[in-house]
Amino acid sequence: MADKNTRFLIVDDFSTMRRIVRNLLKELGFTNVDEAEDGQVALHKLKNQPFDFIVSDWNMPNMTGIELLKAVRADPQLRHLPFLMITAEARRENIIEAATSGASGYIVKPFTAVTLEEKLNKIFQVMGK
Amino acid sequence: MSEFAGMEELLQDFLLESSELLSDVDNKLVELEKRPNDKALLNDIFRGFHTIKGGAGFLNAAPMVTLCHRTENLFDKLRNGELPLNPGLMDTILDATGQVREMFGRMGQGLMPASAPQALLSALDNALAGGAAAPVAPTAAPTAPAVTTPTPAPAPAAATSGAQDPDWQQLYGAVTGQTPPAAPAPAAQAVQVAQAVAITQPVPPSPAQPAAQRSAPAKQAAASAPAPVENTIRIDTHRLDQVLNLSGEIGLTKNRLTTLRTEILQGNAEAHTLRSLDEAISQLDLLVGDLQNAVMKTRMQPIGRLFQKYPRLARDLARQLGKEVELVITGEETELDKTMIEDLNDPLVHLVRNAVDHGVEPTEERIAAGKEAQSQVLLSAEQVGDHIVISITDDGRGMSAEALRRKAIEKGLIDAETANSLDEKQSLQLIFLPGFSTKDQISSVSGRGVGMDVVRTNIQKLNGRIDINSIPGEGTRISISLPLTLAILPVLVVRVCNQPFAVPLAMVREIIPIEQASMQEVSGKPTIVVRDEILPLRTLSGLLGWEPTQKPSFGVLMQSAEKSFILAVDSFVGRDDVVIKPLENIRPRGVAGATLSGDGAVVLVLDMEDLLKPQEANAQASRSLELLAL
Repeated sequence: MADKNTRFLIVDDFSTMRRIVRNLLKELGFTNVDEAEDGQVALHKLKNQPFDFIVSDWNMPNMTGIELLKAVRADPQLRHLPFLMITAEARRENIIEAATSGASGYIVKPFTAVTLEEKLNKIFQVMGK
Repeated sequence: MSEFAGMEELLQDFLLESSELLSDVDNKLVELEKRPNDKALLNDIFRGFHTIKGGAGFLNAAPMVTLCHRTENLFDKLRNGELPLNPGLMDTILDATGQVREMFGRMGQGLMPASAPQALLSALDNALAGGAAAPVAPTAAPTAPAVTTPTPAPAPAAATSGAQDPDWQQLYGAVTGQTPPAAPAPAAQAVQVAQAVAITQPVPPSPAQPAAQRSAPAKQAAASAPAPVENTIRIDTHRLDQVLNLSGEIGLTKNRLTTLRTEILQGNAEAHTLRSLDEAISQLDLLVGDLQNAVMKTRMQPIGRLFQKYPRLARDLARQLGKEVELVITGEETELDKTMIEDLNDPLVHLVRNAVDHGVEPTEERIAAGKEAQSQVLLSAEQVGDHIVISITDDGRGMSAEALRRKAIEKGLIDAETANSLDEKQSLQLIFLPGFSTKDQISSVSGRGVGMDVVRTNIQKLNGRIDINSIPGEGTRISISLPLTLAILPVLVVRVCNQPFAVPLAMVREIIPIEQASMQEVSGKPTIVVRDEILPLRTLSGLLGWEPTQKPSFGVLMQSAEKSFILAVDSFVGRDDVVIKPLENIRPRGVAGATLSGDGAVVLVLDMEDLLKPQEANAQASRSLELLAL
């Protein structure tokens, strides 16, 4: 099962949303969490500190979630990191874009801790293989 | 009873952050009217609604999700150039922001917001449907940014994610099968899954609504929506660190003092011990001053947070009145105590409305007077010394002293004799009299003449001053001067009848010696001429109703709002920064509260406004006169 020390990076420009995700992760027992307010800040943190898991919003100023995803997948140091895209964009072309860009999962707002757990477990399963 | 049980904290956060976001969106909308094709603006507004929608979803505020979702889709079409922005659409969008603000108000009271008016939702749907039909053929679904809308009434927006879920898992399986995550999925496969995923729903066309009907109710709402109550504050962590740092240092200094105390109590009072004591106390003095400053800084907020609400206000009002007004804002980064920022809102709303409604003349009148059709109202803030000066300047018709005097006589606020004795500046002050309204027709906008006196009272409560300048034909400028903070009050300590009293330093202009020879009697009242200005002389002992123990030897030249006078005192002690403690249970006339002096004595802090109020006996007759003469 998932290591509760998994170090998460939550990326969202809306601090309320970061707090929501942080609380949901806490409910699931994950407390090793850091935050970034957009893709640029996230990328900077990712390059300078070790993280195990990225949970990112899609729509952000400066650098969007999808741009961050592409940047992460293009970086040999970071490309292995699981990347869960969180967004309200429930459009199929967005989902395809996320998937083809290498997202490990996609979750649509609003969601509950249970849904989040399902998504995380699925990703951990794939990683464990 | 809150309908957000268990989510109160989240709700507070959401309201605080979203309200800021919405104000920002409002301003960008005003900008957008000037630059309707600005992609960056459209993007920002889109993201604003999108973000609010996301947060509202977690709070289960379905009506807000529904409204924001449609507005967001509208902006998606606007930014993709699929829909042109026209004034009618702009009204609909502005109604939508008003409606969202109204919902914030309800949520602030712990209530689930009601659904947005059907007229507004239909108007949004119409706009969306119209845009989709025109440039994109309905059959070209795969390429069009088809929207999965939760529009049908029975399914609220929150249900979307659930419906999408299983489909994603299929897609997930399809794509994550390729181990190097960056590798693109084969197109065919993706498209196949995509068809499984998509639940596209054309927006149902709705019956057309008359434009007037759809914009009227929400406009009202925008003006009257209660602001969500804010009892949290956001502080720059750097500032908080400073407080922490200083309190740490004070702790260290305290330790040093404790050690020194022990030494001294044990009889070690050598010169170097005493010198150390002196050093430690000096250091403590510095540190406490710094700490007070640092704590004060944590309460400081940029006034822009307040200002950013007004362009929209001015715009809506101008439109309603058929005027062209641009509200120009400067100095929004100026910082002010948080409580003051909140208390300033009502007066400023009133002043901005006044400027647009009364100050700015109708467009035809402007053109006839050879002015630009569009008027400019300037709202500015700047720090001048230890004061913040906020001013509202319009380039409208200005005020005529003669007309003001006539009006005041008509209203029975002053008599003709008093009116004749007023100069230009004093005449302008007439608008601050209770019951004075310069417009013959009461407009629904600027109130019913309960305005300016309340504005002035509110500003005075903040220890501020309000001044007015006006040139007929050129415009009016109203400026408000406020202390940086209310927490610490600089005072001048004076003595009368062997008792110290503190008066707010903000009111003190200068201190002069009182010589019997310089006093003159004008209509039975003692006055002193200071640089050609005849100023009435009031003795503090007289105001307090005490028997003087000696002839006053110093005069403190005081100015509050428009009144100047000389307060005669026996002597003065000096200036001090004090923290006022309100008196419990008793409220003596003219006393704002009490504070402790350096030697531990209790010093009463005087409320000059209250002290100067005429006593019951001669109150009615002399009120207006006193107000002007003092």
